[in-house]
Amino acid sequence: METTSTSPAYLKRSARYYAFAKGAQPWIYNFLLVIVCLFMALPILGTILTSVKRQVDVQRKPPLLLPCDTETRDFDVNACRFVLEGYDRVIDIKPNPDALFGFEMQGRMFSTYIPNTLLYAVSASLLVTLFAGMAGYALSRFNFRGRRALQLAILAITGVPLLTNLISLYQLGVALRKAFPGYEERIFLIIVYVGFGLPFSIWIVKAFFDTIPRELEEASFIDGCSPVQALFRIVAPLAAPGLTSAFLLSFVGVWNEFIAGYLLVSKNALKTAMFGLYDFIGQFVIGYQVLAAACILIALPVVILFLFARPVFFRAMVEGALKG
Amino acid sequence: MAATAQVVTSPQPGMHSRRIRQTFLSRTLPFWLLLPSLLVLAVVQFYPGFYSIFLSTQDFQAGTMKFVGVQNFDKVFGSSSFSDSVWLTLMFLLGYALLTMVVSFTVALFLNRKLRLSGFYLTVIFIPWVLSDVIAGLVFRLFVVPDYGLLSPFFASPLFGSPDGISLLTTPPPSPLTEAIPFPPAPAMFLLIFASAWKAVPFITLLILAALQTVPKEVLESASMDGANGISSFRFITFPLVIPTLVVAMFNLTLGGINGVGMVFSLTSGGPGTATEVLSFLLYKLGFGQLEFGRAAALSVLMTIVNLVLILVALRISRSDSEGYKF
Repeated sequence: METTSTSPAYLKRSARYYAFAKGAQPWIYNFLLVIVCLFMALPILGTILTSVKRQVDVQRKPPLLLPCDTETRDFDVNACRFVLEGYDRVIDIKPNPDALFGFEMQGRMFSTYIPNTLLYAVSASLLVTLFAGMAGYALSRFNFRGRRALQLAILAITGVPLLTNLISLYQLGVALRKAFPGYEERIFLIIVYVGFGLPFSIWIVKAFFDTIPRELEEASFIDGCSPVQALFRIVAPLAAPGLTSAFLLSFVGVWNEFIAGYLLVSKNALKTAMFGLYDFIGQFVIGYQVLAAACILIALPVVILFLFARPVFFRAMVEGALKG
Repeated sequence: MAATAQVVTSPQPGMHSRRIRQTFLSRTLPFWLLLPSLLVLAVVQFYPGFYSIFLSTQDFQAGTMKFVGVQNFDKVFGSSSFSDSVWLTLMFLLGYALLTMVVSFTVALFLNRKLRLSGFYLTVIFIPWVLSDVIAGLVFRLFVVPDYGLLSPFFASPLFGSPDGISLLTTPPPSPLTEAIPFPPAPAMFLLIFASAWKAVPFITLLILAALQTVPKEVLESASMDGANGISSFRFITFPLVIPTLVVAMFNLTLGGINGVGMVFSLTSGGPGTATEVLSFLLYKLGFGQLEFGRAAALSVLMTIVNLVLILVALRISRSDSEGYKF
C-alpha cells in the first residue's frame, strides 16, 4: 500500500518500459529467427542454385554466384542462364513409343535406384511397424519374467554402432551368397533394415500403448474378445498415430541410409539411391550441377513427406528421445 | 435328471478343450508377439555383436581364420593412427556438441516466445534433419571444393593466415604443438564440425523447445510478480527445469557423433591425409578399406563398450528422473 503511494514515478516508468519491451520483443525475435532460418536454408538454396547452372558456369574460376554476367556487366537480369541440364542428365528422358507415357527415363537413378530404394523403404517400414506393434503391445500389456531385461536389451542395442554390425553382416552376406545359389540380396538387405529400425520403433510404439487405458481392453474381454482380437480391433486403431510415426521414421531412415546399402549390395541393379549418388562423383567431367541436381531429386520425396506429416515426426521424436 | 446334472457340472467337451487352448495361447501370447522382432534382432543385432567378439580374436586372411588371442587389440590400440583418431574424435565431439547445444538452446529460446510464425520457423529449421548424412555432406562439399566451390574464394583470401588462404578440403593441419596430440586440427575438421552441427541443430532444438514448453507459466508469472527479471527467472526457474533434457540431448549428440560415419564419408573421406579420421571412419577404413576384419572387429568391440557405458549412464540418470533430479 505504502509503496504504491510513495513511488508512483517508478511504477509509471516500469509500466512504460514493459509496454516497450512487449512491443519490441516480437519484432527482434522474428528478425533473429528469420536470420537463423536463412542460415539453415542457405546450404540447400546454394545447392539448388548450383543445380540450375550450365556446365561452363559451374566450371568458372573464380566461381560465379549467379550466372548472370555479360561481357560488359557483372550482373544483368536478362542475361541469366538458368537451365535444367543437370536434372536432364540425372533423369535422362528419352522418347519411347512403347513405354507407358510415350517416354522413358533412362537415367539409372530413376529407372533403377529410386524404385529399389522405394521397395526397400516401404517393405522394411511395413515390417517394422507390424513387428514393433506386436512387440510393443507385449511389452506394454503383459508382465512376464525377463520383461525388464528384454526392454533394457532392446534399448542397449540402439547404442551398438551400425558399422560394428555391418562387419559381421557383410561376412554373413558373403557366406550366404556362396552357400545358396538362389540367394536374394534384396531380402537380406530388407531384413537388415528391419533390424536397424526395430529397437527405436518398439520403444516409441510401447510408449504409445502405455498411454491407452487398459480398461478399454478389459471391457472388451468381458464382451468376449480374445487378447489377439483386442489387439487388432481395439488397441491398434487407438495406437494408429504411434504406428504411423514408427512407419514414417523408419521410412525416412531407410531412404537416407547409405552405408548398409553400399556394403551389402553387389549388383548394380539392386543399388539404393544414396549409393547411386556416387555414380555422379566418379566421373571425369566435373559435373557439379548434375551432382547437385541428383541430391535435390533424391532428397525431395522425404522433404515433402516431412512437410506433410510434420506433427507426427515432431511428436514421435520428442517421445522417443525423452522416454528413451 | 442325471443328464442335466452332468451338463451343469461340466460343459460340452468342445468348450472345455477350447478354454484350455485359450489359456495356453494367452499365457504364451507375449512370446508369440515378440517372436518376429526377436528373430530379426537376433540376426541383425545380437549375432553381429557376438560374432565381432569372436572375430576380434582371429587373424582373418583371404577367408581363412587363425586364432591369435589379443594380438588384434595390441596392433590396433598400439598404433599411432588409433591414438590420433581418439584425439580427433574427442576434438570433434567437443566442438560438435558445444556448437550444437549453444545454437539449439538459443534458437529454442527464441521459438519459445510463441510468435505467430514459430511453427513456420521450426519447419524451415527442421529441413536439414530430413536430409541424409551423405547428402548433407555432399551439399557442404559442393560449397568448398577447391577452385569451383562458391565459398572457396572467400577461404582463399589472406584473411586466413597464409598468403593463399586455406582450402577447407585440402589444406593440411598446422604442425602439432605436441608430438602426442594432433592439435590444432586441420581446417577440414572445423568444416566437419560445422556441417555436423548444421545437421544436428534441428533435432536438439526440438527437444529443448519441448522441454521449455513444459515449464509452467504460473511459476514464471508469480516469479515476475515477486520482482524477478527475465535473467533471474531464467537462471532459477527455466534453466533448472530443462537440465534433464539438456543431459538427454548431450547423450544423443555424443552417441551420434561417435557412431556417425556418413558425413565423414561424403564430406572429407577422413582427409586431408588423416586429419578428420575419427574413430568411426577408422573402423570403416580398417574393415572395408584394408580388409583387416580382425582388427576392425577389435576396434568395434571397444566402440561398442564405450557406447553401452554411455547408454547405461544415460539410463541411470533418466531413471533417477522419477525421484527428482540431483545435480
